[in-house]
Amino acid sequence: MSRVLAVLGKDLADLRQNPAIFIPALLVAASGIVMPFFVAIIVPYVAGERLADSGDFQVALEMYREQPGTRDLDPEGAIQAWLFQQFLVMLMLAPTAASMAVAAHSVIGEKQARTLEPLLATPITTFELLLAKVLAALVPTLLLSVGCYVIYVAGIAMFARPGVYAALLTGRSLAVMFLLGPLAALAALQLAVCVSSRVNDPRSAQQLGALVILPMAGLFVAQISGAFLLTAAVIALIALVLAAVNAALMKTAIALFDRESILTRWK
Amino acid sequence: MLSASHLTRRFGDRLAVDDVSFDLRPGEIFALLGPNGAGKTTTLRMLAGLIAPTSGTVLREGGIGFLTETPGLWERLTVRQNLTVYARLHGLTPVDRAVDEALTAFGVLDRARDLAAQLSKGLKQRVALARALLHKPPIVLLDEPTAGLDPQSARDVRELVLGLRDRGHAVLLCTHNLDEVERIADRVAVLRGRLIAVDTPGALRARMFGARLRVVTAQPAAAFAGLLAPHGFADVLAEGETLSIAVDDPAAAAPRIVRLLVDGGAGIVSVAAEEQPLEQVYLRLLEER
Repeated sequence: MSRVLAVLGKDLADLRQNPAIFIPALLVAASGIVMPFFVAIIVPYVAGERLADSGDFQVALEMYREQPGTRDLDPEGAIQAWLFQQFLVMLMLAPTAASMAVAAHSVIGEKQARTLEPLLATPITTFELLLAKVLAALVPTLLLSVGCYVIYVAGIAMFARPGVYAALLTGRSLAVMFLLGPLAALAALQLAVCVSSRVNDPRSAQQLGALVILPMAGLFVAQISGAFLLTAAVIALIALVLAAVNAALMKTAIALFDRESILTRWK
Repeated sequence: MLSASHLTRRFGDRLAVDDVSFDLRPGEIFALLGPNGAGKTTTLRMLAGLIAPTSGTVLREGGIGFLTETPGLWERLTVRQNLTVYARLHGLTPVDRAVDEALTAFGVLDRARDLAAQLSKGLKQRVALARALLHKPPIVLLDEPTAGLDPQSARDVRELVLGLRDRGHAVLLCTHNLDEVERIADRVAVLRGRLIAVDTPGALRARMFGARLRVVTAQPAAAFAGLLAPHGFADVLAEGETLSIAVDDPAAAAPRIVRLLVDGGAGIVSVAAEEQPLEQVYLRLLEER
């Protein structure tokens, strides 16, 4: 574990020296935070029309008025709660998508900087190296997620109807943000690291790693269209699938990390 | 200390290294020479355990320090941070002391807080050497340690390498710099896929060119060339004021040759064993194989 921490510490120190790499991440996260406020608060305010006056949100209205915790919300508050919770999936994905650059650059970046060969000449194992690389991308992702979530809930508490923020503090919401989020992030980042050790261009790794985002984005679309509902059982099922995917990805990454090819075919 | 036995490495259909065997001894600098693509770096990587040989074995007594062709420092990290990562990877404790010792040994302690990106090429190479020697390995593999360095930095690195030999390390030096090999290598191996020759520079020189004595005379040398042939010195070349004479043993032949020349009226300015530059030896070895 000390070797994992050594490389992880190095990568995090390197990231601290290069904060500009997180500018796209911060922009994506900021847009992920701001967009729901546009939809739930700003647009209705500018249009002079309450969400509750629209017939489009009746499902949300009924669903939230049946649930403890949001039952006491007025119709406008219930719809806002529904919207803010739907966008939570997107907020969960934003930091992951943004940290993809870090993961995609992890192995190919070492290759290009000619720092990989001396590193591989040490006793570090492939598992330790890849784990360190994935964690180095995951740690900023998680920090960004927590930061986004705190700002999101604080913004809701300040600008939404009274009590709406409580809908974002339910077990379900917290599970989406802090269980599904990290697991999805881990899968996406592992895939990016995995691809990063097989290609000669970080852009390829970034694009291929982003494929993991697609199912999660699909989940968001399905959910917001009413075709799918993230119940506790669904969240648990997705979490199990993601855990299995993560385990399989690590095994695959180790199998695909061909030290000899990396050393002898790099340019 | 390190023994390579029948090392062979294929990359697909291409035979990069073919049946290479040699030993590396403690307290010696062993230079591996060869043209580009001769398999030097592949051999080094096999010795370091980074890639596996297709066949053959490497026996090592103790750890290996490997200096790669480029310093490979993390540029946005400080010198100390760079070495600290490696100290942890090698499991050294206490980390700070191990790093301080390495930085001191290679004269870069005062640059410990500098970012690697701020260092000159020569200093980067020093730091890379400190990193390779951090865990005090008895065997050191150096891939082109002075490539791209200015003369002063190259000299500094050479002195550090000589210091390693003095401390009993077995040093394998992979280089194109024949002048450098001439200056510091105890033994030389010439590689071109296969090992063409392994010996001391002097023995290789004698093998390729034989031993010769160089006599500088006060008068034109051609007048004295004929004096030597009747006395068993048949291969004599004269150019300007210089005679080049093939001998079996320069030390034993010199007094006799000087006497013959003086008796023949020659003024002797200097007498020395003639040494072909290693470059000539190397090129002839490659030409012959």
